[in-house]
Amino acid sequence: MSLPSAFSRLMLACALALLTRVALAEDGPIGYVKTHAGAAFVVSAGKSMEAVPGLALRQGDVLRTGDDGRLGLILLDNTVMSLGPNAEMVIDEYLFEPGNEQLGLGVRLLRGTMQFISGVIAKLRPEAVKVKTATGTIGVRGTRFLVDAGN
Amino acid sequence: MVLARTLRLVAIALPVVLTACAPKSWVVLLPDEDGRTGRIIVSGEEGQTEVAEAGVAASLDTPKPETFKVTPYRIEQTFGGALAAQPKPPAVFTLYFESGGARLTAESEALLPAVLAESAARDGADISIVGHTDTTGDPADNKALGMLRATLVRDALVAAGLRLDRISTESHGEGNLLVKTPDDTQEPYNRRVEVVVR
Repeated sequence: MSLPSAFSRLMLACALALLTRVALAEDGPIGYVKTHAGAAFVVSAGKSMEAVPGLALRQGDVLRTGDDGRLGLILLDNTVMSLGPNAEMVIDEYLFEPGNEQLGLGVRLLRGTMQFISGVIAKLRPEAVKVKTATGTIGVRGTRFLVDAGN
Repeated sequence: MVLARTLRLVAIALPVVLTACAPKSWVVLLPDEDGRTGRIIVSGEEGQTEVAEAGVAASLDTPKPETFKVTPYRIEQTFGGALAAQPKPPAVFTLYFESGGARLTAESEALLPAVLAESAARDGADISIVGHTDTTGDPADNKALGMLRATLVRDALVAAGLRLDRISTESHGEGNLLVKTPDDTQEPYNRRVEVVVR
């Protein structure tokens, strides 16, 4: 990857993350980083942070790993996700208020590989969970799967 | 002789052909931790397909997803990193209460060290605490009682050294019964706090 392209992608991701955050009503953590190795980062509200265990995640965050990177996380509804090397994923939507029937989870894997293990949201309302790549969409019916989004 | 040479050529050519056909973007279903397998519905621009068998994959870069079988070797080759990064699955503890108040049963009180140990065994642990009641009394009072129970457990964990900012507390009152009962029914299994350590 050339430097200008990496830089412009980062800027775009930052701008998107910022926009999403401004649009958000609620701002609490939606989950936490649990595992990491090598280069692994979370871009949140335009700020890039090393993805260390215990780092709080928010809707709109972009997760990214390098050549030797890996990253694992658990969301508040017990959804478990983990990324392999050279991966980039965006958490577009997260709604977990079972009492108010507010449920939704939408993630986009832009490149690289991930594992997804569904949690409570998929159990309560399966159609509210979507995992997307550039060219396809995976609807989740309570389960565990692996996605390769290519490079 | 000719046959042997042909076979050898096929053996060399086959992986190349397979690689050429293999999609660049795909999804494969795995069994859950409990051994059961769920389902996924894979959609492309022009169609969708359902996968309900572990080890079966579907392409994500064709207009209509095409299914194919994947070997464990290929899964490990492609997804070794993502699989190695999988966090420990969340652990769930259910603590029960004496009737009417926020006093843990002796048995459940004895479980607190196990909750602490589970939390200490994880990097960056976070904890959800949800309080519940049985259907005795007023629903609004029960919402408050559930919160009182959740708070009691939280305070005990914080007193033992856990980080307050990584603990979330809420109450479902009598709205989420473990054992379905009519209204105004005492039920020890409904008087509980569920603690999830992640």
